[in-house]
Amino acid sequence: MSASELTVERLLRAHAPHAPETLRTRVLALESAPQQRNTPSRRLVLVALPAAIAIAVLAAVVHGVVGSGSPRAVPANKSFSSQTQGADGTGATVDSSARARADSKQPLTAPSFGAPARLQHTDASLQVRVGDVDALAAATSRATRIATSLGGYAQSVDYRTPDGGGGASYLELRVPAQNVKTAIAQLGALGTLVSQELSVTDLQQTFRRQSEQIAQLRRRVAALRAALTGVSLPEAQKVLLQIRLAESKRALAQRLNARKGTISAGTTAQISLVIGTEKAIAPVAHHQGRLGRMMHSAVGFLALEGIILLYALIVISPLALVAAAVWVWRRRSVERLLAA
Amino acid sequence: MTIRGPGAVSKDVNAALTSLDAAPLVGAPPAFAEIAASQLDAVYRYLVYLTGDRAAAEDLTAETFEKAFRTWRRFDPRRGSPRTWLCRIARSVAVDWFRAETRRRRREETYARDVPLSEEFGDGLPGPLEEALRELSPAEREVVALRVLLELDGPSAARVLGISQTACSTRLSRALRRLEERMNDVRE
Repeated sequence: MSASELTVERLLRAHAPHAPETLRTRVLALESAPQQRNTPSRRLVLVALPAAIAIAVLAAVVHGVVGSGSPRAVPANKSFSSQTQGADGTGATVDSSARARADSKQPLTAPSFGAPARLQHTDASLQVRVGDVDALAAATSRATRIATSLGGYAQSVDYRTPDGGGGASYLELRVPAQNVKTAIAQLGALGTLVSQELSVTDLQQTFRRQSEQIAQLRRRVAALRAALTGVSLPEAQKVLLQIRLAESKRALAQRLNARKGTISAGTTAQISLVIGTEKAIAPVAHHQGRLGRMMHSAVGFLALEGIILLYALIVISPLALVAAAVWVWRRRSVERLLAA
Repeated sequence: MTIRGPGAVSKDVNAALTSLDAAPLVGAPPAFAEIAASQLDAVYRYLVYLTGDRAAAEDLTAETFEKAFRTWRRFDPRRGSPRTWLCRIARSVAVDWFRAETRRRRREETYARDVPLSEEFGDGLPGPLEEALRELSPAEREVVALRVLLELDGPSAARVLGISQTACSTRLSRALRRLEERMNDVRE
């Protein structure tokens, strides 16, 4: 066969090299080897990506549903949540919110909390809105009178009416613990209740521990005094016992003082009251209906997820750029390599 | 032979595809042994043309099929023929080999251009054509192998090479023209 009779293509095909038999045997023997199970990465991405999006949306919806639950144990559409903190640091705080009542003139009833037989400290915080500065002055005076009438007092009153209009007064009130519920109800009725927070801290265990320490210190003081009356003690030992007695007395005084503070905290409730005009205290917007709250909560959660994703992208993007540059460089280097 | 334009090849180039390469397979992929048996020669030819070294091509072919065997489950017949898939693996394996060879030759201060290829590309190929093939760059021999010997269509060959179809056609056209010119010189 002459080269001139055939085209280049036909020549090339006609004389194409054939794989040697040794190679054929080697390659065909691969089938008998155990095959490694590989997960198809592309398919995995195709499944994982929609799954991740679905989980993110589902989490937002669940968060929305859970977060939009109807108010619990609230009489007449009032919104309260409670938290009472135990003496050991754990426990609960009572947090009351009267947002749902922001536009209502109905008096607010404080929730039931705490155990009357126990020593507990109550801390309340209220925001009340009044119509104008005149009403603000009247409400401030009335608030101090309420505290006094219930056996308490106003620890501080800060009354502010700036030139721009409006105004607010900030009151720190102390009322006996047994009257706190009445006080909150009366103070809440001074105007439109905007928000209300309530926390109860159980002090019973602290009181018991302090009492035990005091009893123990008293016993020690008595024992040291008795020892010092002994006539046969050496002078050095007597001095040592005197030092110990002085220390014990000081510790006893500290414990007595601390217990006095605990009793005081347990018998007196602290109420922080803010009374403001419409300009000073903006009404709290609230979402109508459970569906609205759910949507708001879900959208907020989705936004949070988006922010996290954005941060992740910001962190990853420089690395991705470097990886892309390396990929392009390697691709070009292959072209140069084979063109040589 | 006549060159009709960039990338033009004879009409029968794509006419004799095997049944395994006739069209992308749909459904369950064929057994690996079946593919290996039918595509071994094609992969080997491609690597002989690309490397210009039969011994290396033999090793690289084995490596290609080992790699293909390991990743056989990832092969998707809807995305291309087994031959295209194997050629892409072979090219990746060959590029690694080229890099290693370049490093080795740099170490030995001997460059690829300084070493004339002594291997034969074809079985009983006429001397002038062998000579002409040796004068082509690996990239040019590669496109000839894919389009002429392996009879891959334009899009498949371009996909293997990682270049556009136009670039692939231009490269093939240039390579074939050079081969034809060489053959004409010999005839004259």
